[in-house]
Amino acid sequence: MVKILYLLDCYPQLYCPGQLNMYFSKKAFVWCMLHSCYSSLVLFFIPWGAIQDTVRDDGRDIADYQSFASLAQTCLLVVVSAQLCLDTYYWTTVNHFFVWGSLAAYFAITFTMYSNGMFLIFTSIFPFIGTARNSLNQPNAWLTMFLTSLLCVLPVVALRFILMQIRPTINDRVRYKMQKDTLPAPPPRRPVRRVSTRRSGYAFSHSQGYGALVTSERFLFKRPIKSRLAFSVQPDGPLARNLPQVFRPIAEELHESQSSKS
Amino acid sequence: MMASSYNAKEEDGRNSNSSTHGGAAVAKSKKPDNTAFKQQRLPAWQPILTAGNVLPAFFVIGLIFIPIGIGLYVTSNNIREIEIDYTGSESGSPCNDCSTNFTWNTTTPCICTVNFTLNQPFEGNVYMYYGLSNFYQNHRRYVKSRDDSQLNGNIKSLKEPSKECEPYRTDPVTKKPIAPCGAIANSLFNDTLELFHNEPNGRTTAVPLAKRGIAWYTDRTVKFRNPVGDNLSEVFKDTEKPMNWMKPVYELDPSDPENNGFINEDFIVWMRTAALPTFRKLYRIIHKNSSSTLTLPSGSYTLKVAYNYPVSSFDGRKRMILSTISWMGGKNPFLGIAYITVGSICFFLGVVLLIIHHKYDSRNNSADIPN
Repeated sequence: MVKILYLLDCYPQLYCPGQLNMYFSKKAFVWCMLHSCYSSLVLFFIPWGAIQDTVRDDGRDIADYQSFASLAQTCLLVVVSAQLCLDTYYWTTVNHFFVWGSLAAYFAITFTMYSNGMFLIFTSIFPFIGTARNSLNQPNAWLTMFLTSLLCVLPVVALRFILMQIRPTINDRVRYKMQKDTLPAPPPRRPVRRVSTRRSGYAFSHSQGYGALVTSERFLFKRPIKSRLAFSVQPDGPLARNLPQVFRPIAEELHESQSSKS
Repeated sequence: MMASSYNAKEEDGRNSNSSTHGGAAVAKSKKPDNTAFKQQRLPAWQPILTAGNVLPAFFVIGLIFIPIGIGLYVTSNNIREIEIDYTGSESGSPCNDCSTNFTWNTTTPCICTVNFTLNQPFEGNVYMYYGLSNFYQNHRRYVKSRDDSQLNGNIKSLKEPSKECEPYRTDPVTKKPIAPCGAIANSLFNDTLELFHNEPNGRTTAVPLAKRGIAWYTDRTVKFRNPVGDNLSEVFKDTEKPMNWMKPVYELDPSDPENNGFINEDFIVWMRTAALPTFRKLYRIIHKNSSSTLTLPSGSYTLKVAYNYPVSSFDGRKRMILSTISWMGGKNPFLGIAYITVGSICFFLGVVLLIIHHKYDSRNNSADIPN
């Protein structure tokens, strides 16, 4: 977290994706929906094809309603966990514990719900007795789960890799740079006299029209005369004169920086 | 005044002057402890998708999937299976008479025989299934129409079945509770299938069919239990048989008390509702001989059917399936083909990504983030 704040200070272009609505727009929603449609089709039809007209390895039923439901549900859990692992960028001990722990908890709860004891106590609520034991010990079931999870995750990985190669976003570049060479150590923290209320101004920086509100008397008690912030205020600039500021549009800046590189 | 009150909120935790608080205790620092966990400085692994890990992953997955797919496909091809459709809906088929002249209240069952030939011998245990088509055992109202407490031997549920069993809950004439209640039990498959081998020397021998061991172990021992009592007909005396059944539940297999009543294995297999409209259920097992002779040598066979189950009203079809089994179950080439396809696509995608990476990598290496 400390590193993230330091990165934001070093590379202020990291604020751009948020202000451009890159990750929270109609286009993002449409992509999300397409991805979920594809995943749903895979999660139904692969188990369907795998259990159609087949039986267990001792000849008994596997194509019954309860086994099919249990298999599809387990495939879904595995796919969701795999997708979560793809989207987690910082793997601390806590992350590991919760991701593998939730998978383990799913299996523990499933086997408990489908156990003899629960059926005998609450008969009508837990009718799936024996299903987990009898369907999850089949190699067929595990092969289906492996296939389903890879079929759902690999297109995402391929697409992300292609986009990173062809059109890397500022996030991708910073992460790559962080991994490639270590950043210089952050300067020792001077006791900066920060006005805590200034932080709330960030919340309004996403949309136009809040400049006047943020720089008005309601948010700033007293502007310290000797400010040591990264973005220091010019004494005769529009901020000091309590007028809304005019910034260059961000798209232009991004274009300029891209054209300067190529 | 404002400056001093601001001091108290300072983040470096300097205690405020005690003089401004008029002798009250020094304010406790609200700063969190300087541990790695609370200051979010835990060591973290930060994976990113680079060419070094994505491209080998694709190639390795492709190289793993293709042999697995080939193995599954070859295993599936080695399984012997034969399907005999005996619905009798076409006018020339052997069971056409039974199919067209079906009546509900009949004491003598209609017998029809179907001859077939096995081109290849069957080795090991051979499993005999009955298959139905266009029979939706996964219809929601049908699936709910059962009483698991009654089937578990609960006496109270035996006398008063659950409301989910309506309209198959009580007999409309005698008003007694139906055991077993519900639509699933009512539609129990009651055809009888027998297999005969026509040997080359003219003799016809019956193939021995085992009727135990066809249901799941957990179903047979935990889920389905008879109500407590020595004499089953005594236990069920105040109940009625389901409307479409010809015999009551305590006469399903009088010769074997372990297979009679609710724990009858054919009944248990039927009550495990199928997920798809075309399904097969285990009917009998032909155990392999202890000697080295083949279980079912190739040749001519006869299937004798006691045709009790009507399917023509919903355009259903009935068939008998003989199949051997492997470690992956029955004959199903889907997984093998799917693995081969996905492995090939993966490998091909890996090659495409390698080309893209080569083309764009030089451009990316020189690029840098402007400050």
